[in-house]
Amino acid sequence: MKKGIISGVIIIVLAICFVLQGQGFGASPGENYKWYCAQCHGLNGKGDGPNATKEQPVTPRDHTDTKGMSKLTDADIENVIRDGGKATGKSTMMPPWGKTMTDAEIKELVKYLRQLCKC
Amino acid sequence: MKRIKVYQKLTVVFFSMVFTGILAGTANADVAGGQKIFEAKECGACHLTKGPNQDKTFEDKLKRKGPDLWFAGSKFKKEWLVKWLQDPKPIRQMAYNSIEKKNPGDHSKLSGKEAGDMTDYLMTLTSKDVVAGTIKAKKDLMGKMVFEKKQGCYGCHSSMRGAKVAGGLTGPSLVDVGKRLQGDWIYAYLKNPQAIIPVKRMPTYAGVLNDSEMKSVASYVASF
Ligand code: HEC
Ligand code: HEC
Ligand code: HEC
Repeated sequence: MKKGIISGVIIIVLAICFVLQGQGFGASPGENYKWYCAQCHGLNGKGDGPNATKEQPVTPRDHTDTKGMSKLTDADIENVIRDGGKATGKSTMMPPWGKTMTDAEIKELVKYLRQLCKC
Repeated sequence: MKRIKVYQKLTVVFFSMVFTGILAGTANADVAGGQKIFEAKECGACHLTKGPNQDKTFEDKLKRKGPDLWFAGSKFKKEWLVKWLQDPKPIRQMAYNSIEKKNPGDHSKLSGKEAGDMTDYLMTLTSKDVVAGTIKAKKDLMGKMVFEKKQGCYGCHSSMRGAKVAGGLTGPSLVDVGKRLQGDWIYAYLKNPQAIIPVKRMPTYAGVLNDSEMKSVASYVASF
């Protein structure tokens, strides 16, 4: 009985944590990248997605640019994904994804970007 | 004198005939008729009319071939809908759900009479999450700030920048969107996307923008 209550409480707490952060869809980092990021950064991360039109004020970062990307720390990348371009003093054309994905998914994406830039 | 009376009578008869004609026309444009056409033309193969949308994954969304219509009556302006169904010019620059292919612009067309019936039917489909009368279209300054500076809505949506169309291509075009969408729907979608479009490529802004910012940007977009 007690066990039941305790696990019930744990489930509720977990559920609340889940609701408070972004709601993910249980997708892999590669799938999240393709779904959310590729529309600007391109399917291969070269910064050439369909939204990177020539009238846009800035170009989406080339995630395969080893030199440029290695200047960012993991914390920088995580913050910029969660809070958008303003987190690293960049353009707000880079949107915030903190309410769209879970923290765990964002951390996984950081690792995925490190693979893309080989840095 | 007599002659004038005859003319008067004739005019009355003429106008009442025109009037009954108009009445008969609108009575024909009925909801059941629209629903029948919807079924006969298999619009439901691509459009959801029974909400809410239960999609849970990207795959669920990718299976859909067209945007949801289960909230059409809360989303669209009636005058726009009846015209668009007869002359469906592309709204999304990319093919539905795609970030690689262009919109082929091959949506099926309806005749004037069919479009009238269809509009009457679609306007009966509403969402309880859209509260009518909250958002008034206006050139809201805070809304403009959110759209262009605080956030970059233009990143994925095109709209008029001066006399030119500019912006991204993966979101539906927002050029003239004030003629197409109800501000109340825009606000409801920003505030609670889960209830309106649960799986989408657009970021969730609820919790990023506060309530008054969401209202302002909805008013601003509705003024396009
Ligand atoms: C609406 C288009 C858009 C989308 C969608 C988008 N980005 Fe960006 N992103 C940009 C732009 C534009 C920049 C460059 C900003 C600048 O240079 O001022 C950028 C920059 C970045 C940077 C570099 C930041 C820095 O300080 O140099 C990272 C990392 C990044 N994006 C990751 C992502 C990830 C991960 C996703 C998907 C979750 C994503 N972006 C989705 C437009 C976008
Ligand atoms: C083959 C799939 C398909 C069929 C069948 C189809 N549609 Fe569509 N419909 C689409 C797509 C894709 C779009 C998006 C078009 C665009 O953005 O330009 C669309 C857009 C619409 C819209 C505007 C919705 C919005 O959110 O922008 C309406 C209204 C609509 N369709 C009604 C109908 C009706 C009525 C029928 C039947 C006569 C029908 N459709 C049949 C695929 C379909
Ligand atoms: C990363 C790209 C992206 C950004 C940034 C973005 N949107 Fe969207 N937006 C989309 C996409 C994609 C859709 C279509 C959603 C769907 O139906 O799956 C959409 C849909 C919409 C719609 C409904 C349009 C229709 O006809 O159905 C409105 C209104 C809208 N967005 C407003 C905004 C506002 C306001 C902002 C800024 C606060 C914004 N968007 C930022 C991608 C984006």
